[in-house]
Amino acid sequence: MMCPHMEAALNEYVDGTLTARDRVSVEAHLADCAACRAAVAELRSLAAAAASLPTTIEPGRDLWGAIEPRIAQRATWNFQRLRRRAALAAAAVLVVALGVYRLLPTSTVHYRPAGWAAVEADFDRASDDLSRTLATERDRLRPETVALLERNLAVIDAAIAESRAALARDPGNAELHRLFTAAARQKVELLRWAARAAAS
Amino acid sequence: MPADLIRRAQLGDRVAFEELYRAHVGRVYALCLRLTADRALAEERTQDAFVRAWERLATFRGESTFSSWLYRLTVNEVLLGRRAERRREQRIVTSEDPAALERPREAAGGLALDLEGAVAALPPGAREVFVLHDVEGYRHEEIAQLTGIAVGTSKAQLFRARRLLREALNR
Repeated sequence: MMCPHMEAALNEYVDGTLTARDRVSVEAHLADCAACRAAVAELRSLAAAAASLPTTIEPGRDLWGAIEPRIAQRATWNFQRLRRRAALAAAAVLVVALGVYRLLPTSTVHYRPAGWAAVEADFDRASDDLSRTLATERDRLRPETVALLERNLAVIDAAIAESRAALARDPGNAELHRLFTAAARQKVELLRWAARAAAS
Repeated sequence: MPADLIRRAQLGDRVAFEELYRAHVGRVYALCLRLTADRALAEERTQDAFVRAWERLATFRGESTFSSWLYRLTVNEVLLGRRAERRREQRIVTSEDPAALERPREAAGGLALDLEGAVAALPPGAREVFVLHDVEGYRHEEIAQLTGIAVGTSKAQLFRARRLLREALNR
């Protein structure tokens, strides 16, 4: 039986986590205490046994049969969540767009429906170009408009990120393509409106 | 682990993910069994870990090995499940029997009777730290982060676990 007050020190000694000074002190104690020397030997033996336990144990039954349906179910659940997020983003865009619309002369507002390729191109180019333009012109927008814009861009960005992650898992899903397209289009249109509003 | 298999699974290929499951289930189950000391619970947590891994595959960017990422995620699943379980236990244990919270489970069937059995019979807190530190090689700082306990508490639980194990194995 080790000296009770030495328990922490002996464990740390075995783990090699003592400072040099404390190690010297423990070694001095060990030189005089057979019980603690035996305890150190036991601790070392225990650590070696623990480290050499088998790294794998096969479960008694095949668990894949229970995992596979949960994965499929989860994919559906994620899709529904994504659709709700897209709807939320669309609503957010509408709110911002209406706010920005009021700042614009009627003649400057144009809505041009775009297909997948146009939206994708818009998203790559306009997302960068318009963001840059908006960054330089944003001082011309009312602060409350800027705050609302940023809040809702964050919502749309989250929807886009979720769409992308879902598409990465299920690239052939046409519904996901439509959701991504809708979110990307919303972002481009919002940025375009905001940039025009700032420039007008 | 072939990067191609991981990439295919990340793109939603369930067949590729099943291959990943087959390659890692033994290690994941061993970890769950040692942490829970309960065969049925370990099977449940193993399933939870792989479902969670599937959900979070897109976040794996190869900064660590896939196995390290998966085992850490497994530890998180087990510890989260344990916290939920402890909350349920605390609701039903009366104040006359507070020690029941730390009473060890019966050793899991199928484990060897020596060290594996002694580890399974440890109180849950001591067992978790022992398994993570001495079997899996996590540092106290990592254990503290994973379990939400202080580094000092992690050390105290480890020393307690080793004391109990030495006593059990010397009997």
